[in-house]
Order: sequence, then C-alpha cells, then structure tokens
Amino acid sequence: MLVELKVNGEKRSADVPPETTLLKFLRENLDLTGAKLGCDVGDCGTCTIIVNGKSVNSCLMLAVKANGSVVTTVEGLANSSELHPLQKTFEELGALQCGFCGTGMLMSAKHLLDINPDPTDFEIRDALTGNLCRCTGYTKIIAAIKDAAKTLRASA
Amino acid sequence: MHMTPMTYEQPKTSAEAVAILDECGIKAKILGGGTDLVVDLKHRPGGVSVLVDITTIPELQGIEETSEGLRIGSAVTYTEIMSSPLCRKIIPVVCEASHTVGAIQTQNLGTIGGNLVTCVPSADSAPGLMVLEATATIVGKDGERTIPVEDFFVAPRKTCLEPSEILVSLFIPRKNLSKPSFFLKAGLRKGQALALVNVASSLNVVNGKIVNAKIALGAVAPTPIRVPEAEKFLEGAEPNEANLRKAADMAVEVAKPITDFRASADYRKQLIKVMTYRALQSCVDNQ
Repeated sequence: MLVELKVNGEKRSADVPPETTLLKFLRENLDLTGAKLGCDVGDCGTCTIIVNGKSVNSCLMLAVKANGSVVTTVEGLANSSELHPLQKTFEELGALQCGFCGTGMLMSAKHLLDINPDPTDFEIRDALTGNLCRCTGYTKIIAAIKDAAKTLRASA
Repeated sequence: MHMTPMTYEQPKTSAEAVAILDECGIKAKILGGGTDLVVDLKHRPGGVSVLVDITTIPELQGIEETSEGLRIGSAVTYTEIMSSPLCRKIIPVVCEASHTVGAIQTQNLGTIGGNLVTCVPSADSAPGLMVLEATATIVGKDGERTIPVEDFFVAPRKTCLEPSEILVSLFIPRKNLSKPSFFLKAGLRKGQALALVNVASSLNVVNGKIVNAKIALGAVAPTPIRVPEAEKFLEGAEPNEANLRKAADMAVEVAKPITDFRASADYRKQLIKVMTYRALQSCVDNQ
C-alpha cells in the first residue's frame, strides 16, 4: 500500500505491506533512524514520534494508519544551523547517558512543551511515564526540559 | 518483530465493517488504536490476515451531549476524552480513569471502545462507565442492540460481541451526568502499570441519606464487576464512616481476586477494602 506522509516538513512516500509499523517505515523505507526499536510492545517509548500533534509509539502504529499525516521525528527538531533548545539543554546538562532513550525522551518533551509551555516538575514527570531510561538519569532529563521550556518561552 | 502478511480494509460505515467481518470470519480483526492488537499480532498472530480499521467511521467518532445523556463514539481516544471540557465537567470519573491507562503515547492512540473490547479484568475504563450505568451500542448483521456495559464482559478477553459485531458507541444517561463519582487505581507504579485493583463509585446524598450508590471493581474477578450487595446496603443509609466501611467490607466479600506475579489475593483484598472506602468517602465529600 502506498503511504504518503509529510515528515519533518518534507513529503515522503513508499509502498509497503499493510502490516508494516510506522517505526519500520521510518527506519527502513525513509532512512530516518532516530526513532529506535526498543521493547516493540509500547512500553519503553524510545520509538516515540509526533503524528498530527500527538505523541505515539511508532512501534504500535501501522504506517497505513498514518497515511496523509504530518509527522515529526527527532531528525526534525534541529534546523541546518542550530539544535533545538531541548537538544541544547539535554547536551548542556548531560541529560543522556547511553542515549538510547534520548530520541524518545526528546519527542515526549517536545509534545509536552507544544501543549504546555510552562510545565511543573510533576507535569514533566507525568509526560515521561511512557519513556524508560535504564541508565536512570531522569533527574537531569527533567531539569533539561525545564530549562528548554524557559528558553522557548523567552523566544516566543 | 515482524507481523505475518495482512490486508487492510478501511470501511466507511459500520454496516460496511460488519459485512467485511461477516465475510472474512476469524481471519479478520478489528483495528482501533492498535495499542493492544498490534502487540498481539506481533506475538500471537493466530491466523489473522485481514485488518479492519474502524477508526475513521463517522458513527464511531465524537462526544455529544443530547437531551437524554452523553454519547461517546467507541473510537474516541483517551486523550480526546481527557481534553474535552465537557467530559471533564460532567463525567470526571471517566477522565480520571483515562489518565491512568498506559502512558501519554497510549492515551493518544488507544480508544475507549478498544479498552472494553480487549476485555481484560483490569480494564481501567470499565469501572467508571459501570458506576455511571453506561450502555454500549453494538451493530451487527441483525441490526443494532444496546446493553449495559457490565453485560459486555463475559470472561477474560471474551466479550459478548458476536464475530461480525462491532461496538459503536457508549452512552451515559442524563441522570448520571455530573453525579458525584470517584475512580482509584493501584498499580505497582504510577505510570504504565496494569491495575492490581481499580475501583469506581458514584452516589448521591439526599436529605442526609445515600441514594443511587454504585460500586464497580476491576482486576479482582474474571471480568470487571459491580457490587450489588454493597449498593443495596448503602441505599438509604447515612453517609457515615461506619456504613461506608461496611460497604467496603462487602465489596471484599464479593471479589474473587487471584494471586499472580503482580500481587497476592490477600494483598488485593486489602486494597479493595481501603480503596472502596476511600472512593465512597470521596463521593460523599464531593456532594
């Protein structure tokens, strides 16, 4: 089936079997490998991307269901000249250890700040319940999201 | 993990969906948000080769208040329910329950109908709907039927749906809109955990007496259950601590929790006792 998406501002398409997950579609058909394959059952959140403004586990969504959607992956955060404020604060505060959860964390954080520009610590924690970090570096991730929120509010 | 080859159907009406299900039989599965089904298809494909995506059928969409009550399409997501000011105002118990399902990514994809159709004993949407006496509207080959939500559940992972039937919508009668109600869930942790026990209750206090008390429990029996004994006991009773605790004890008697790797039956009974009391007390406090 032909699946056409607007991914990170660009129209992309590929013909894939209906049982193809959106994660596989992004990674294998569009060469966007930022979203990771972790648990493959929707628990770990490392495959998190944003589809039509909503964060989803791309391992649980079939590509055909996303046909015609607007998709943002971690590759869409930075522009050609600079990193996204979230990426900058994650880097500055050392919010990543092994980094495997990082792209999913960034996308859940992006989704949160899109709908709530000034979240409390509790709201940040709540927004990350679907993203597991097995290096257990949550404290710095939360601090980085808070800092990025401040930067984004100042530039809004 | 790769899935076995599938074909994908996207019917435009519930009648069209029913016709496809009828023709394909057990090869076909209804695809809603996919948060349960896609996991199943990866691990237990079970000969499924046709996916029938019902999420774009207009009859399964929307949240509408009518003179009779509130209708929620079965393909409405948890996030749509939680972000609806109308739902937050008149069915807060369903919003609270929706917030505890999975994580935000699950709530963005998962549908309220899907949670009921998957029919696990711990379904978080069930108790809240049950204490608001919600009904489920089902469409099949022989037309439409409407049943109380609690009659929808038959056994673990088995609903009353015939193979070619689909759950179209849920309906909460007007008398229970804005009724004081409360939902509580205990899991092993706050996020992404299946309920060890979940409890919902609703009641009114009129002239110092409890009326219309409803209690529903999840994860404590093969299906979500109501507790008619305790509801009957509370009818006309004073809303004092002793009566509420007695009702909670009656809920423990009715429940048949199991011991599994998440918790022992005894621990679940303790949870039922404490959580049922707290839910009832919160209803009394929120009059």
